[in-house]
Amino acid sequence: MTKPQTKKTDKRVGLFVCHCGVNIAGVVDVEKVAQVMKDYPGVSFSANYVYMCSDPGQQMIIDTIKEKKLDSIIIAACSPTLHEKTFQEAARLAGLNPYQIEIANIREQDSWVHTDKDKATKKAIRIVKGHVEKAIRNESLEPIKVDVTRRALVIGGGISGIQAALDVADHGYEVLLVEKNPSIGGKMIQLSETFPTLDCSQCIMTPKMVEASRHPRIKLLTYHEVESVSGFVGNFKVRIKRKPRYVDATLCNLCGECEKVCPQVVPDEFNMGLSFRKAVYLPFPQAVPGTYTLDAANCLGLSPVRCGKCKDVCDKKAIDYDMKEKIIEEDVGGIIIATGYDLYTMQALGEYGGEKYEDVINGLEFERILSASGPTGGVIRRPSDGQVPKSIVFVQCSGSRDTEKHLPYCSKICCMYTAKHSMLYKHRVPDGQATVFYIDVRTGGKAFDEFYQRTVEEDKVLYIRGKVSKIIKEGDTLIVWGVDTLTGKKVEIEADMVVLAMAMVKADGVQDLLKRLKISTDIHGFLAEAHPKLRPVESLNAGFFLAGCALGPKDIPEAVSQASAAAAKIGDLFSQKELSHEPTVVPADDEKCSGCAICITMCPYGARSMDKERGVVVVNEVLCEGCGACAAACPCGAAQQRNQTDEQIFAMVSAMLRE
Amino acid sequence: MYEPQIMSFLCKWCTSAAADLAGTSRIHYASNAVNLRVMCSSRVDPQHILYSFREGADGVFIGGCHPGDCHYVEGNYKTLRRIALFKKMLPELGIEPQRVRLEWISAAEGKKYAQVMDEFTEQIRALGPLNFNEKALKREEQKNE
Amino acid sequence: MKIHYYPGCTLKEKTTALDLSTREAMLRLDVELVEPEGWSCCGAEYPLTEEKIIGLAAPARVMRQVRDEGGDVLITTCSFCYAVLKRTNYALKNDALKHKRINAFLKDDIKINPLTKEKTTGFEDYNGEVKVLHLLEYLRDYVGPPKIKSRLKRPFPGLKIAPYYGCRLLRPQKELGLDEPDNPHIFEEFLELMGCTAVDYPFKQECCGSYLSVSLPEAATEASYRILRAARMNGAQAVAVTCPLCFYNMDKRQDAIRESFLDFGGLPVLFFTQILAWALGVDKSALGLAEHAVPAAHLFEDKPRAEVTL
Repeated sequence: MTKPQTKKTDKRVGLFVCHCGVNIAGVVDVEKVAQVMKDYPGVSFSANYVYMCSDPGQQMIIDTIKEKKLDSIIIAACSPTLHEKTFQEAARLAGLNPYQIEIANIREQDSWVHTDKDKATKKAIRIVKGHVEKAIRNESLEPIKVDVTRRALVIGGGISGIQAALDVADHGYEVLLVEKNPSIGGKMIQLSETFPTLDCSQCIMTPKMVEASRHPRIKLLTYHEVESVSGFVGNFKVRIKRKPRYVDATLCNLCGECEKVCPQVVPDEFNMGLSFRKAVYLPFPQAVPGTYTLDAANCLGLSPVRCGKCKDVCDKKAIDYDMKEKIIEEDVGGIIIATGYDLYTMQALGEYGGEKYEDVINGLEFERILSASGPTGGVIRRPSDGQVPKSIVFVQCSGSRDTEKHLPYCSKICCMYTAKHSMLYKHRVPDGQATVFYIDVRTGGKAFDEFYQRTVEEDKVLYIRGKVSKIIKEGDTLIVWGVDTLTGKKVEIEADMVVLAMAMVKADGVQDLLKRLKISTDIHGFLAEAHPKLRPVESLNAGFFLAGCALGPKDIPEAVSQASAAAAKIGDLFSQKELSHEPTVVPADDEKCSGCAICITMCPYGARSMDKERGVVVVNEVLCEGCGACAAACPCGAAQQRNQTDEQIFAMVSAMLRE
Repeated sequence: MYEPQIMSFLCKWCTSAAADLAGTSRIHYASNAVNLRVMCSSRVDPQHILYSFREGADGVFIGGCHPGDCHYVEGNYKTLRRIALFKKMLPELGIEPQRVRLEWISAAEGKKYAQVMDEFTEQIRALGPLNFNEKALKREEQKNE
Repeated sequence: MKIHYYPGCTLKEKTTALDLSTREAMLRLDVELVEPEGWSCCGAEYPLTEEKIIGLAAPARVMRQVRDEGGDVLITTCSFCYAVLKRTNYALKNDALKHKRINAFLKDDIKINPLTKEKTTGFEDYNGEVKVLHLLEYLRDYVGPPKIKSRLKRPFPGLKIAPYYGCRLLRPQKELGLDEPDNPHIFEEFLELMGCTAVDYPFKQECCGSYLSVSLPEAATEASYRILRAARMNGAQAVAVTCPLCFYNMDKRQDAIRESFLDFGGLPVLFFTQILAWALGVDKSALGLAEHAVPAAHLFEDKPRAEVTL
């Protein structure tokens, strides 16, 4: 390890020390800093000014660069996270390469945190010296240009996925909409009415579903699953698995004869297990695409064929037992993840019976009971004996807002849909008693509180503030033990049916895919956005955008907004002629490379590979994200990060530590 | 009066952001460290650390993201392994391993950053000056003469 | 094999049936239960109140004695004792203040041998080293269902028993960890192993009234009534308990229950160890059935009678 010589340099570095009013100057003697640095090797100009980021400050930089023929500048001011781009732009206007700009942080990391003026000034000088050593060795760099495939992939065909696909397609780009179930629609199509308008959910959704299926630029891939994604932003390669439907969707005319003869009866997932379907089935009448699907897992057997009745009766010859799973490969430039949610399992709530009691159901089951196309034809009947319940208890926060055992967060929509459920119940069973146990009633949206007030005042739903501690069954009746915290009394209510507002949780069966895509999730399995406040629909992974309940509990208008936002981000991405990739990557110097391949194992992006013929490492600079892990590992010094080489680091360390 | 001198390598995404947050929150702490911002804590080479000692640092601090949160997926795990092994080597070089500290500090933990800086400064103060450079430079000067 | 066993004071006085049946049963499984020397009352409920750190000294001393006698496991059957002992261990391991105070108190301990009058002092700190196990746990995890099954002489042919956990056995889950409080099955598994049919009913973890039977008897009467009624409604021929206080509230006070709630037809209450002992072949006379206020002897025939008549 040799001592770096103070580099003899032709570079003309300009130093601008900012006062930032008194934010810096009140503690750091900025004039002294500028004065001391005047004589530092490499510094051709050194000045201090009140507000470097102001217009006159910027102008001063531009003018000085031109006058003093500076080829590198250092702004000693606030954190680079604030104004790096601003100063880079100013320098660019003066004809300087943006990578010749250094920002020395002497505010957040000096004047704002230290009180001893002498020490703070000394530290500021050290910091600036370090940046000078870096600046005199900085190379001018050009961003790496990358082409963009102007095609999008949307994963998930619920309301968010559908809206996103429609928006991107309307922009003029082609979209692949992938949905693992036989039909798009997600959870929204299972709902009966939506709050607060009581719109029929299927009536407002089916037009969108049909539009998605007919849109010239949307390729609808239902009964498909995304297997893997490789590549990088603007240039993704996606492998999608086509699951065999055993029915040719183009031939099927929905006559339903196959269903009639199928001997296999299984619980119907669309109706939440409250009714049955056959192995060959149409998920629901408005399914898109409108075709039957043969569920091989529940069929008597296809190889060899054990039954064959459905094929026999199919006039259109649409049934084909020989269909196979197929992997298709597609190129896309941007991906929107809209994989939705699921409800917390009732099994976890042993105090409410686990899943023992047939008449204790969750919100989605109640939606199916309310639905005119549901298992009871829209008549509210309880699952156990089909009787019309004369007393229903609704329990909010089942599993939510529970820091002890279940989920600590609020599921956002339950207060509103419970009000809706109780209201609809009262409309259909006017002499019935509806009781809601709540902790709070959260009605933050437009016309939400008015809707809730209607429930209480017009529909006479009884709201009791308190948690339900236990639900037991005695004979045919359910007994709900709760408390009324406003009177301080224990409450025991006899009910024919209980509807639990179960917490919204991460979607089943998606975690694996997210891991493979390296999309980060939070501790609850919801997608992690780039910034919770300011970047709600972007992932930290470039090229991936997020929308809907996959991010966390929300209602339909929010999901639709996020979907449109994600689509707009795709629009941003695709509207660029080419993409720019940060050039501060780590290339491989083939003269120094010994071919040990250690750096290849270090890279999480697969940017490095071995050129077997020459025995040296080559780097795909587009994939390199510039973390530097390989640079630190290389034993030969062949991997040097652009503008943060070992030489630069040694020089900076030396300058910052030496007196 | 001996004042400990500390060289800090902070990862841009987490610890440097935490240091900025400490600044925005006006939390005061010891001024004994100078910060060098790297893209990822995994950029830090043991050579950089040894060089820091040679150039006068009495302690070296490395700040990275919490496990699982690395902007570059797994850089911090590499740092962890590297520093763990490196610290085992330090006694052989006559340097107390406590002079190197690796800490996970997220961008939201401004207060923690300040506390760690104060703590580490005191730890290094207690260990006393390293004076590594004196011996090394002396030997090099002797060689050059 | 000898294992340390903590009976608790009630088992020596009011509910010797539980103690007796436990010992006899374990002998049949090759386990001799040994009480730690000079054990004292665990304190039942009261040591677990926040302020009474010193109250935990008594259970800590019991366990320290077990440790000093070379034991690393302590079995108990009484739910209260189990809760107090296990939670004392948890406190010692997780709360530095409690650990310090309790051990400081115990340091002043002087043991005087009653015969020789010899004094022993200077005991080592107790740090929660002894593992406290409820007998149900011990049977499941240490003896194991296969061994128990192989020793069964008289598996009950389908006798319908309602397992009663009560409030102490399962909560707080973090400190006791015996089973899932809202959906437990350790007791049911035990009963099934014995050949009984475990009856599911909603009141198995609800409180029997506990000490309210002393201070507010009507509350305890109603609480116990609801448990017994629910068990009976779901077809149980008896309720099995682990705790002497629950036994007292539901068996000894069943007269009071019948007086207040005329619709209640009565239900025998058994200790789970009586079932275990009988199934392992222990003679009926050694089950302590004479102690019961509600006749239960008829359940221990080779063909138990389905009807309960009082």
